[in-house]
Order: sequence, then structure tokens, then C-alpha cells
Amino acid sequence: MSRNDLTDDGTDSAGISRRDFVRGLGAASLLGATGLSFADDGMDGLEAVDDPIGNYPYRDWEDLYRDEWDWDSVARSTHSVNCTGSCSWNVYVKDGQVWREEQAGDYPTFDESLPDPNPRGCQKGACYTDYVNADQRVLHPLRRTGERGEGQWERISWDEALTEIADHVIDEVQAGRYDAISGFTPIPAMSPVSFASGSRLVNLLGGVSHSFYDWYSDLPPGQPITWGTQTDNAESADWHNADYIIAWGSNINVTRIPDAKYFLDAGYEGAKRVGIFTDYSQTAIHTDEWLSPHGGSDTALALGMAQTIVDEGLYDEAHLKEQTDMPLLVREDTGKFLRASEVGLAQDADDPEKVFVMVDADGNLRRAPGSLGERDGQHDHSKSIELDFDPQLSVERSVDTDEGSIAVRSVWENLTDELSQYTPEVVHEETGVGENTYQRVAREFAEADAAKIIHGKGVNDWYHNDLGNRAIQLLVTLTGNLGDPGTGLDHYVGQEKIWSFHGWKVLSFPTGNVRGAPTTLWTYFHAGILDNTDPDTAEKIRESIDEGWMPVYPEERNDGNRPDPSTMFVWRGNYFNQAKGNVAVEEQLWPKLDLVVDINFRMDSTAMYSDIVLPAASHYEKYDLSETDMHTYVHPFTPAVEPLGEAKTDWEIFRLLAEKIQERAQERDVEPIEDRKFDRTIDLTTIYDDYVRDWETGEEEGLVEDKAAAEFILEHSEETNPEGSDEQITFDDIDEQPQRFLEAGDHWSSDIKDGEAYVPWQDYVHDKNPWPTFTGRQQYYIDHDWYLELGEELPTHKEGPENTGGDYPLSYNTPHGRWSIHSTWRDDTKMLRLQRGEPVVYLNPEDAQQRGIEDGDTVEVYNDLGSIEVQAKIYPSSEPGTVRHFFSWEKFQYPDRDNFNTLVPMYMKPTQLVQYPEDTGEHLHFFPNYWGPTGVNSDVRVDVRPSGGDSE
Amino acid sequence: MSTDQQDEQGEDDTLVNVADGVDHQVAMVMDLNKCIGCQTCTIACKNLWTEDGGSEYMYWNNVETKPGEGYPRGWEDSGGGWESSEHSDRSPGEIPDEEDYGRAWEFNHEEIMYEGSDEPLRPRDGAEWGPNWDEDQGAGEYPNSYYFYLPRICNHCTHPSCVEACPRSALYKRQEDGIVLVDQDRCRGYRYCVEGCPYKKVYYNTVSKKSEKCIFCYPRIEGEGPEGETFAPACAEECPPQLRLVGFLDDEEGPIHKLVNEYEVALPLHPEFRTQPNVYYIPPFAPGQHTEGGETVDIDRIPRQYLRELFGDGVDEALDTIDAHRQRVRQGGDSELMELLQDKNPAKQYRLEVFDDE
Repeated sequence: MSRNDLTDDGTDSAGISRRDFVRGLGAASLLGATGLSFADDGMDGLEAVDDPIGNYPYRDWEDLYRDEWDWDSVARSTHSVNCTGSCSWNVYVKDGQVWREEQAGDYPTFDESLPDPNPRGCQKGACYTDYVNADQRVLHPLRRTGERGEGQWERISWDEALTEIADHVIDEVQAGRYDAISGFTPIPAMSPVSFASGSRLVNLLGGVSHSFYDWYSDLPPGQPITWGTQTDNAESADWHNADYIIAWGSNINVTRIPDAKYFLDAGYEGAKRVGIFTDYSQTAIHTDEWLSPHGGSDTALALGMAQTIVDEGLYDEAHLKEQTDMPLLVREDTGKFLRASEVGLAQDADDPEKVFVMVDADGNLRRAPGSLGERDGQHDHSKSIELDFDPQLSVERSVDTDEGSIAVRSVWENLTDELSQYTPEVVHEETGVGENTYQRVAREFAEADAAKIIHGKGVNDWYHNDLGNRAIQLLVTLTGNLGDPGTGLDHYVGQEKIWSFHGWKVLSFPTGNVRGAPTTLWTYFHAGILDNTDPDTAEKIRESIDEGWMPVYPEERNDGNRPDPSTMFVWRGNYFNQAKGNVAVEEQLWPKLDLVVDINFRMDSTAMYSDIVLPAASHYEKYDLSETDMHTYVHPFTPAVEPLGEAKTDWEIFRLLAEKIQERAQERDVEPIEDRKFDRTIDLTTIYDDYVRDWETGEEEGLVEDKAAAEFILEHSEETNPEGSDEQITFDDIDEQPQRFLEAGDHWSSDIKDGEAYVPWQDYVHDKNPWPTFTGRQQYYIDHDWYLELGEELPTHKEGPENTGGDYPLSYNTPHGRWSIHSTWRDDTKMLRLQRGEPVVYLNPEDAQQRGIEDGDTVEVYNDLGSIEVQAKIYPSSEPGTVRHFFSWEKFQYPDRDNFNTLVPMYMKPTQLVQYPEDTGEHLHFFPNYWGPTGVNSDVRVDVRPSGGDSE
Repeated sequence: MSTDQQDEQGEDDTLVNVADGVDHQVAMVMDLNKCIGCQTCTIACKNLWTEDGGSEYMYWNNVETKPGEGYPRGWEDSGGGWESSEHSDRSPGEIPDEEDYGRAWEFNHEEIMYEGSDEPLRPRDGAEWGPNWDEDQGAGEYPNSYYFYLPRICNHCTHPSCVEACPRSALYKRQEDGIVLVDQDRCRGYRYCVEGCPYKKVYYNTVSKKSEKCIFCYPRIEGEGPEGETFAPACAEECPPQLRLVGFLDDEEGPIHKLVNEYEVALPLHPEFRTQPNVYYIPPFAPGQHTEGGETVDIDRIPRQYLRELFGDGVDEALDTIDAHRQRVRQGGDSELMELLQDKNPAKQYRLEVFDDE
């Protein structure tokens, strides 16, 4: 019996609340409870207590609380709402219902000198149970009866829902519009089976799989540009190994709650922790020093620090010579790298035009080992960048070529020239950071034994994010802080990487032919960006598409027409709510879609604006895997309870849809059709058979259940089942305890080693394999035509686009907050009670006062794009002139259904639309989540006024 | 055993001051330099003990931004505690208004999502104040503003004024571990305890008409539950940065004793209330201030006087001690204190079974 059984449960005379209904407890059990008497017997007959301090005789009642500490079973699970925490939890079940959760706390320790890896979790994970039984829960298939977004539904049967979707899909495919069918689901690592469920069906249909890492501006473009790699980060435990840590725009104390301890504890191990934030952020409060550059000026600050390091000779010369493009020669006339072919070197190479040139200590021209022209593709570990000569960094001379004498300078000379502009006066003027302070921090960083930068969304959301990335990366490169414990630049934002890569890939895309779409381009193209951006950008977008550098689906047909997208499946994500350029997306893209299907456990904004909503199992009702690059373990989801209502697992939903498509296709007697792009046939009459077949072994019906799909991933990935080893990680193993991966596959740049935290880049820095760039080195000079045209061949500080959103006095920012993982938990009652129950905007007191705004007032934040109504919250720690609206409130939390993204326009930076080298793209080429335009959003201008003031 | 002998010597002569009649005293040290305000502790506690039945508004464990109003609003000025260290006369206190706690808002999810309402999602009866309303606000002016987070539970005081306040003797301090409880059989909801607690950590349940409070998760530390396993209080176990040490004040081999009594870096909150709390805090550091020119200067960002008001005069020495040990480690030296403050050894973090075999 529960203590709370004694009391009324809050139900009103209308009877049982929905919450009680879904819990299955019902009011009856509460009302029917008996137990301790309420009757007040006053003081009469009260037994005496001599001394309540230590000598209290009447303690039997204490069983009341002891009886509550009770449960029937425990299952291991976790949460996968586009969160990369990957925290293993125990889910406690009582009376057939999920009761509560608590961190499992049993990650094995791999290094005793580091803080204990347990417990991983946060306040949101600690109340996921609320969602399992929430009012928001989708319990039945629903079909829209009102307009999209109105929240008017009719309950339909599974068969009805699946038949309607199947017939629509069959029509589209048979009409050749399979590439008008889109599937959007973010980051696979935190639930790869659910990711694969829909991706597998979309792949079999010939449909389009969407990128997300670039779309959400989580991808740091500077990393593919400079390091030829999507991203590769140390696991968070490695933070503790650093002697000097800069948290740069990465508010880890709110966005990396499970990992924060490694940063916090490092201070007690002697590390200095510096925070670089535009506000005195929740992470800044626990640093040893805080720098406060103006928003968007991080690039200038980084280049100023780089200038100090170069000017004072604090750089790691050996690292620069061997590991970077600094010694390479660049033609003064064209700005292009000098090629070996131009000076008669490297004639034995496959392609001497893609071999680069250095000058040795004696002044002789030498081919740069590891250049792309002598490698077999981007990743060729049979070659080495190790030098058998000592190249000069500073070169300024002429060389004899077929064209005559040509003036050349090394990249280093070009770079030092560029950096020389960043004098202390300039840096202070641009950033507001004190001249002495930033130079001292630069020195301290350079002189530390192991220095690390934790790089975050705060510096990655700006239009010129690629320049910012490259400038900040330059600091770890100059100081040789790469490849060793406690070093590197760790970018933790929406980590795309999944450890068990191969198994996930072949499960998600069994045909091997993938229509991957760069989502920023897809979204904005269909939302009309070509008519809404500056002519130069529009021209570059067209050129990129025409050159085939970036794909847009549906493809242009032979007659020159391009159909509109028609169909969208969204699962595990809230695409519509999170779309920057939200006004255009709602007004232009959304009406083009004839059918939007959302698969969800809760009614989020995308579900609200869908045509059919299918009820998905919650995270405590299914099998799956959980991984992250914040750590090196894998652990599972297992069902603590059966799916509530009519909900089904993602895997079952898409499997049933495949079955229905096959059934209807057979009934309709449709013919297989040839895919116009790939050498394959799309046959809807066998699509279910194909869906459940294990394509690796050929076993029919091998993948009917989600657990089998999870086991398939473990079986077919070298991280969990390494070749040539008896060791293997099975699903049972991870159910018992999280397991550390056995190996790191080729998509990682170091190995996983016993007793050590994972640190990237060792393949290059220690093993001397060529970096996967054009030059085979960390490449700070990009001689792409567009980069030269835009003056961005080297990292440089540029002002962002002016007056984005209009000419308004305040800058507008939508950082990740503490109370949600994107939109999930934004609507959760328990979380809202610890905030203000509605969206708030953080204002500097001065800005508020000037506008007659007080804390708690309802205000409008507005620009040319629109206006949103929110509550003002006074935040003295923000810089005057800044408006901080922690994202990602749902549309239905705003009175007019506009949201935080209403104020954000569509924009795209041309440098991220390229292929490089221009002809083959082996360094930079479109690949979903690796390279593509990012959906940036921090250069926005707004103003704020009390609500009910001037009308729009 | 030795601690008992010490107990009898009175507070002036001993390091470990446990209440008369109490064998051992549970205690907690919270390191404010690791509190990130995530409130996982708050949720861990709420899910376990205060989900419904009139307790919805209660946060036995709360985290508040300091400087700030706290929870309930203005609790620091609400009186209670003792007039003197004789512990003979209580200071008068106030019972906070319902609004000072904030109400447990209910929302209109169903109407919006399933019934076609075009209203925004909002607390049904509006919202004027809540337990974390002034989150992140703090004080001061940019760029020299300041704030930090203060997690609070019942202090399970050595001289609990709530116990003294109850005319029915329905509150008591357990002999075996010093946990302070409200007897749910005996309590009649007079709320003298609510008034008498200077930390406002006893809450009145308007449904059951009884007062309730933090129970230091005694069923967990007793090893109740189906698996018979001992757990620290949920607020501590679930804390992601592991900022809480849990054990017994009189466990002289334990880290709490060392931090409180040997290094004297863990301090009680508002010692002037004279209840002698058994929750101790490592006071917070903050980065130095900025000049107008954006230079870092070595001036306390959090005014030292404010910290003294919270943690007493011992705060200066505590901060100096920690600082000195940090310097030592930075220069390559060793420090037991720095090791104690790191979360490397869970067995050290929670020492709950040291007295089981006596």
C-alpha cells in the first residue's frame, strides 16, 4: 500500500483522468484504499515521548516509506530523443506499470585515474517515465480531420492507416516519383534499429534519406575542410587528461550533463579551465577564467590568439612541417597550390597534377609525400606523410615552370601574412576581450603539456561557421595538440558518428544505393530560397546543382522539369518544428507534400502538422542499441513493459507497412520498375520479403523482430565482432552490463586501447598515414576557385551577413538549453514546473528597462519575418544587445503557433556547396552528414517590445 | 565504541559533535563547484517521494540559484532556528504562503493535441511563481554578474528546531543515524515544524493534513527493497557530476569527517540559525572579474561577504585551503584533499555500511 493511497488523487467529479486511465491504476484503487486513520484523536490518549532526539518509541509507521521502496521487475533501457548522452538506466516496474528510472551506474571503468564513468544521466532521462504514461502519448493511429496543426483527429485502425499510406506510396513509386518520397530521422547512434526501420523501407522504395548533422548546423564544416573528416572527438573522459581546457561556445554544463564531471573534476587535478562564452553561462560559472567576446567574433579572437602563438614562436614547428600544409608552395599569380607536374617532379605519381611541392633545407624543390595524386583515393594508409628531409616553413621565391618563372610562397608565409592583421588593437576592437588577457590565454594554451578545446554550438551556428571552425582548429594545430591524451578539438554537437557502422549501414540501406539528400538544400530549395536570397548565392546554388556537386531530389527529369516532393515520413525527430526558415517551410514546402506521416510516441509539432500519426513504442517498450562518441560503450534498450495502447515499435511499424505495400502491390498487380539512377529494380510486390530478409546471410524472414535487427548490427560490425578474433559482444552481454567496444573501425582515426580514453587522430599523427585531404595533411589553405574568389583560402574573420531578418538593434540566439533535448521534454509537466511553464526569452536588464519591460512580462520578439509572444526573463549575465531564446519550444507553446524558428530566415553559405578538388571531390564531396551546407541561424536581428504595444 | 565516548564529551571538547542520544549521524557534503543546476537530484527525489496525494508542490530536494529568492521564496528571512547556542529558546518563524512555494501547475495538453484547441500550452490556472522561477538570474551587472546553484535537502540537524517545535512530539531524530522524521501516524498538521525550521524544509500536505519532509531515503540506506541492496539517497546517487558525499559525520575514516573537521572546507549553510546542520557545502569559486577593457582581474566575482552570509566566517579559510591545494597539484604535487573532491572512487563517495558490524 502506498502512502499516497491514503489520499484523494486529485481526480475531479468528472471521474477518472486520462493519466489514471493510461496508467491502468484507475481511481478505484486509490479511492478504495484503506489504512492509517484520518480521524483526529486530538491530544487525548496520545502516548508520551520523553525525548524525540534519539529515543522515540513509536516507529512502526516508518514501514510506510519502506513499503514504497518496492518494485516487481527492472529492465535496462535508455533514451533516444536525438540526445547523444547514451546513458544506461534501470527502469523499475511496479504493478505492471513503469514506476521510475535510475541510472544503472554500471559502466565498467577502463582507467582508474579518471573519474568514475557512473552515473550517466540527467533530469530529463530521470523522468522519461512521465512520457510513457503522458497525456501527450499517441495511443492509436490517427488521421487528421481539421487543417494541419489544428489538433483534430479521427482514430483509425492500423489496417486503415497502413492501407492508405501503402496505396499512396504505390501510386508515387509506379509514377516514377519514388524520389519524391522522403524519410527524415536524425542521428542513428542513439537508436540505430529505429533509425534503420524507416530508412530500410525508404531505401527499398527508392526514396530519399535525409541528412541531419549539416541541417541542424551540428556539422562543423571546418573539420572536413581542414582534416578531411566529418568529426572525430575524444570521448569525454579524456577531458580529465588535459592540463588546459578551453570550453569554447560549448555550454557543457547544460548540454552535456552526463559528461560535465570530467570538466569539473579536472580543476581538482590541476587543470586550468577557460570558458569562452558571450554570456556568463552556466558553464562559465565553473571555470577558472571566462572570456566574453562579442557574439560572432570568435574567429577574430582565435586568429588573434594564433597570431600571438606565431609571433612569439610558441608553435610546434615539427608538427607543422610534417602534419600540415604549411610548407606547401602556393603560386602568387593564381593562388593555387604549385603542383609537382608544373616543376617536373613526381612524374612517377598516378597524377602529378595532384602532388604538392615543398622546399627542403637546401632550397631544393621536393614532392610532398602523401599528396592525393599519389594515393589511391581519400583514405590510403599504404602511403605515408613521414618526411625524409627537413622542409622550410617560410618560403618566398620563384620557381621555374613550363610557363616560365613563377613567384611562389609557402602556405606558412601566406598564413603569417593573414595573421599579422590581428594585432591586439584589432582583436580587442572586434571582440571586446582585453588585449593582455587573450594573449596570456594564448600563451598558457601553447605552453601547457596537454591542451584541449571543447568546441560547441555557440561557435558553430554562425553563417561563417566554416571560418570560425578553421580558426579555432588552427590553435590546436599550431601547438601540436593532436593525437595525444588531453589534447585536440572536441566538437560535441549532435554527434553523427556511430561506432557499429557497418552493421547499421547495411541494415539501413540494404540495396547499397542511397539517395542521400543534403537537407538544408532540399528544404530551402523547395521552400523557395532561389527567389529569396541574394543573386550571388542563388547563382552559386544553381551552379552547385548543375555541376552535380550537390544533389536535389526529386531529380530533374529529361524534359527539364522537376517534380515537387510529395511524401514525407518523419520518425525519431521533429523536423517541422526545428526547421530554420520556418515561415518559408510552412508556407512553401509543406503544402507541396501530399502526405506527411509522423511516427511518434508523443504529439509533437511535426505530428500535429501531419496527415497521419502512427503510435510508436516509447523507449521503455522496445529493443534497440545505444551508442555515442561521448563514450566508447554500447548498451541496449529492452522493453520494461508492453507498448501502451495500440503503439508498436518503429521496426514493427515499418515492417507492417512493407507488408501492406507488398499485399496491395500484389493485389493491384503492379510491375517492377527500373530505377532511373541506380542499376536496380524497384519491386513493390516483394518489398516485405526484402525488408525482413537478412541480406548478409540471405536468410528469409531473419529480421522480423527489432531484437533480431539489433543483433544483426552487433554481428556485422567490427567494433562488436572484430574479424580474426574470438571476442564478440552480443545483445545478452550488453543487457548484462554496458560493454566497451572491442575495436574502432576505419571511420575512426585512432584505435580503442585498454586502459585509455579514446583520442582521435593517432592514425595520422603517430602512424603518419596521410590525412584524408587533397594534400594529405591538415589543410588550412583551400585553393578551390570559390574560396579564392571569396577570399577564404585561409581562415579569416569576416562580418556575418548584415541585417538578417531586418534592421533591428538586438542579436537573436537560440542556444541549446538545460530543460529539453531539442523539443523533447519541452512540453513535459515536470520540467515545465521547474521553469515558468511557458517559453521565456532571456533579456539583459538594461535592454529590458529601455523598453519598459519587467521580468515576467509578456513580450513580442519580432523582425521582418514575424513575431513571437513569449515571457521576458531578466538575465544579468547576458551582454546588452543580445536576446537569448533557448530553443526548441513546440509551436503549440506559442499563442500564434509561430515559434523560435519563425524569426530565422533561410540562408546558405556557398563555400559549403562545393566539391574539392573540383573535378573529383575526393577531399570534399557531398555525403550525407559529412559534407553539405549547414542550416545556420545565429546572425539574426530582432527587437523586443511589450506585448499589446505597437501592432505589426 | 569511540564515537559514543566522544559524543558524551560535549561539543566543545570533540571534533565530532553528534546529538545526545544519537549513535551515529548521517551527513552529506555537497560540492557547489560541481553543481550545474541540472536538478537531476530534484527529479530523483520527486519521482520517489512527492508525486501526488497533495505532495505535488513539494521539493524535499530543491536546487536554487543564489543569490536569489530560493524555495520557498524568501525562506532565508522566514525565521526559525534557535535564539542561542544553548538551544533552549526557539526563534519565532513564519509559515510561507502557498504562493511562495509555487503551485504544481497542470497543463492543457489534451485540449491542444487532441481536441482542436487553439490556445497555447499553458498552466491551467496561470503561473506567478515557482520553485525555480529566478533560475540563472543571480546578481551584479554584465560582465561581472554572478550566480551559482545551491542544492538543498533537510539538514537532519543535530539540534533540530522543528522537533522542538512540535507540541505532539511527532517529529523525532532516529537513534541509529540521526535522521529527522515526521511520524505520519502522530502528526496532526499543526505546522509548528514548518514554522520552526529556518530552512523551510518541512512541508504541509493539505490533502493528508500532515507535514512531510526529506527522509534521507532511509529505506534505501537501510537496504530495504526487493534486492536488499544499500543505496545512498536518490539525490546523491543520481547526481550526474556526483557532487555529494554521503556517510556518517562520526566515521572518522570517511571523507565527510575529513572535509568537515580536518580540512574544514565543508561548511554548514547559515550556521547562525544554530540548528547545526549535517549537510555541508564546499563553497563556490568563480572566475575573476573583467575590467571595462575586457581584461581579467583578480577580484572576487562573488562578493566574499555574500558567501560569509551563507556559510559563515569559515568560508575565507575554506576557499584559501582549496586554492592552496589546487596550486600544489597544478605544480605537480599531491593532495589528499584534491583526491577527496574528485569522483574516482564510488566506494569512498558513499560510506553507509561502516557501522553495520558493530
